[in-house]
Amino acid sequence: MKLDLSPLIAAIGMIAAAIVIAAPARAADIVDEWASVKAPPAPELKAVTVDPKTTALLMLDFVPKACNAEHNPRCIASLTPVKKLLDEARGHAMLVVYSGYGKFTKNDVLSPVAANESEPFVLGILNKYLHSDLEKILKDKGIQNVITVGTAANGAVLGTASTAAELGFNVIVPVDGISAPDLYAEQYTVWDLTHAPVIASRVTLTKIDMMKF
Amino acid sequence: MAPERVFGITAAMLLAALASFLAVLPEPARAQNIIDEWASVKAPPAPEPKAVTVDAKTTALLMLDFINPSCNEQRNPRCVATLPAAKKLLDAARANSMLVVYTAWGKNTAKDTRPEVAPNGSEPFVVSFLNKYIGTDLEKILKDKGIQTVIIAGTFAHGAVLMTASDSALRGFKVVVPVDAMSSPTPYGEKVAAWELANGPIIAPNIALTTSDMIKY
Repeated sequence: MKLDLSPLIAAIGMIAAAIVIAAPARAADIVDEWASVKAPPAPELKAVTVDPKTTALLMLDFVPKACNAEHNPRCIASLTPVKKLLDEARGHAMLVVYSGYGKFTKNDVLSPVAANESEPFVLGILNKYLHSDLEKILKDKGIQNVITVGTAANGAVLGTASTAAELGFNVIVPVDGISAPDLYAEQYTVWDLTHAPVIASRVTLTKIDMMKF
Repeated sequence: MAPERVFGITAAMLLAALASFLAVLPEPARAQNIIDEWASVKAPPAPEPKAVTVDAKTTALLMLDFINPSCNEQRNPRCVATLPAAKKLLDAARANSMLVVYTAWGKNTAKDTRPEVAPNGSEPFVVSFLNKYIGTDLEKILKDKGIQTVIIAGTFAHGAVLMTASDSALRGFKVVVPVDAMSSPTPYGEKVAAWELANGPIIAPNIALTTSDMIKY
């Protein structure tokens, strides 16, 4: 009797073809997968006790072009809680450092959170440690922790907070003190600060009324 | 008909009193924060990868953290899946005599690089955590060779790739990021990096999001 092996051969061929088809290293990249990727759960806010002697408040880019009702109303909305934080910092004689970019000066800081004459002001784009003496200002004062507030969340805050963590500072980020023109940017900024390797272990996400001095 | 009075107070008087009370209440600064609003946030449309032509003489390929502890099937299989695209970039860079720079973190060395994309022994290697310019001579290595553009591949997308690409743009380099050669353990990390690199303030105009087969040399 002669066996007809053609169905078996065909089946083996189909299986082999399926294996080859399944083999591509990466069927899709993140742009292809975009719509199916959902945001993970929100990170948890934690209560923080601040040591005023070793903690500085960084007030990032509260200047008109970055913080205005037309392009960034969430920044304007953050001014009230930030003012509360600023008052606490000053009340506890903490170091407060302001930043701007381009040609902005200390005098351009929005009046609700205006800088005192004695408070340092540094210029930098996004990463405020780059091309400024911010690290020296902080280390000369024995600062080990930085509270980072300002705008844009996905610009100056992300760049400065992540670099601070890499430089060895503990970083406190109150979510009601940071802002971006759109919510999506705020969302992925707080996720990245609490999930990126190295950085996440040094960043504490909180809100201003969860901070004790 | 006269308005009805209760204890001598009219409804109009009550409303006026309420209005003046509300007027002196401080305007709520921000009813919610991003954590409260988390579930309502909608993702914007995906950025569109664009074709790029690079000048091989002034372009370097940065191969970030393709080392076994960061790029393995257990912890980060999406990185393993990028190795063919990374190898393609590497072959093209070497064929065009481009500068290739490798990185790692911690105590890892060049020998810990995945064999599929291993350095050839003469290519520079720098060690730093996320932003590969911090504590290294990467900027000097690039500028000494007249590099103006960097192609960045590697892992994690939301760590080393995002921080090094952003800082490259701030340091004056043009940046090319092929999305099929960057990876994070979760796709959300890649999504964060892709959107920020394509849209982040200041940096976005100097960053081109592309794919490994959309780069011409």
